[in-house]
Amino acid sequence: MCEAGDQAGPGHRENAGPAFSALLEDSAEDLYEHAPCGYLSTLLDGTIAKINATLLGWLGRERDEVVGRLRFADLLTVGGRIYHETHFAPLLRMQGELGGVAFELKAADGTRLPVLVTSAVKTGSDGEAQLIRTTIFDARDRRAYEQELLRAREEAERERDRVQRLARTLQQTLLPPALPEVPGLEVAAYYHPASADEVGGDFYDLFPLTGGRWGFFLGDVSGKGATAAVMTSLARYTLRAAAVSDPDPVAALSLLNTALHQEYRGSDPRYCTVIHGHLERRGDGAAITLATGGHPPALLIRAGGASRFLSAPGGQLVGAFAHARFTAVDVLLEPGDTLLLYTDGLTEARADGRVRYSEEQLQTDLAGLTPATAPSVIGAVTDLLAGFGDGVEDDTALLALSIPLHGGDRA
Amino acid sequence: MTGIPFSVTTRTSEAGAVITVQGELDVATAPRLRAAADAVTLSSGRLLVVDLAGVTFCDSSGISALIAARNLAEEAGAGVALVAVPARLARTFALIGLADFFPTYPTAEDALSD
Repeated sequence: MCEAGDQAGPGHRENAGPAFSALLEDSAEDLYEHAPCGYLSTLLDGTIAKINATLLGWLGRERDEVVGRLRFADLLTVGGRIYHETHFAPLLRMQGELGGVAFELKAADGTRLPVLVTSAVKTGSDGEAQLIRTTIFDARDRRAYEQELLRAREEAERERDRVQRLARTLQQTLLPPALPEVPGLEVAAYYHPASADEVGGDFYDLFPLTGGRWGFFLGDVSGKGATAAVMTSLARYTLRAAAVSDPDPVAALSLLNTALHQEYRGSDPRYCTVIHGHLERRGDGAAITLATGGHPPALLIRAGGASRFLSAPGGQLVGAFAHARFTAVDVLLEPGDTLLLYTDGLTEARADGRVRYSEEQLQTDLAGLTPATAPSVIGAVTDLLAGFGDGVEDDTALLALSIPLHGGDRA
Repeated sequence: MTGIPFSVTTRTSEAGAVITVQGELDVATAPRLRAAADAVTLSSGRLLVVDLAGVTFCDSSGISALIAARNLAEEAGAGVALVAVPARLARTFALIGLADFFPTYPTAEDALSD
């Protein structure tokens, strides 16, 4: 290294020389007094024995009013003083050194200066503690940085809240605000969003038709987010309009298929699966016609506890193909019977880590509910969903209809 | 079986293209099937075959990708077929009536020689 230095030209040495000698003239005393950090030595009781000019400058105080008169804790804010007495000083005594602790110094004019404090206990040759040496760094830049981080985080949280509020509001426009009262029928529904940030594509509705009949549907649009929400909205209102004007639920699904296929054919196809029913009072019970477009079958739970899936084989996806076929089944709900419609967010949830839930498992899990009612079935499935936690990857909509028992005579 | 990693591979021949899918076909992986279908050059008289033997799960995004592949093939005047559909998927496909729109064969060879 020396040889290499010697080979550097004379010009190089002339430039380096004065700067280096200036460094040599820098006395240890001067370095102590004007170091870019504060130095402080205190007796074991905290009384300040020595303090450098840098720190006195920060504090706006004269040496005479500090040395031998104030303790280190006196330089701190009230909160800092308490923290110093209860944590800092005991820990320092125990460990012999302590570093990087944030305090606020209080200057003579009352201004506060955020600092980072590092202390070490100096022991004599006999091992006895003699004094405490403390180094104090100006942390204003760091504090500003932390405040900037905090501000950015708060802004991100506000933004996230805004997105979630928007998603929730949009979701609410896709669902009825409250289910109507249907004479002779108990109804209950539940919507479980898989994500607070994204609008899901599930929808349901229950509404009056002419002649004392009622229409209802529950469906699931492929995909998520804004585009799915647009399709969900189109599907919900188209189907409701079709249901009101056509007494045949199969015909209403065909009309919906045509409307959706017009809109969503091509390289980014979208579709939905729907169960759409008509309901009419029949004696104590209700006659239901249930049309299916590619949707998981509704579960019928009889008053006695027996249950079965009402499949309408042959019903196809709605909106995916120009000429789709839809089929229907008829069922008579009697007192104590419950009909449950659901979306596959439930049956495709990961029930136990990786294993997916299934329609069979749902049937088994609901078998214990006798007599089942719309609210009790929705309550039971809501509990199941809560149990799956993060395993529910997709939105889930539930709609249940039941005929109340009269005075429990059929229970 | 649920642990097998997702993959999409394509092989082409005179008769058409076979896209072999493995793993869970869902919202995360379906775009890769779409990309593979986009990349295949289809023409009138050829067949696009999707081999699903190794597919352990298929959600609505996966089904959308299959329908997108079918629409692409139809536009090009080509045919489309599914082969080796696992039982669980076959049940889902039956539920949503896909069979009418996708001829199904036991193996790719069966589909291509039909």
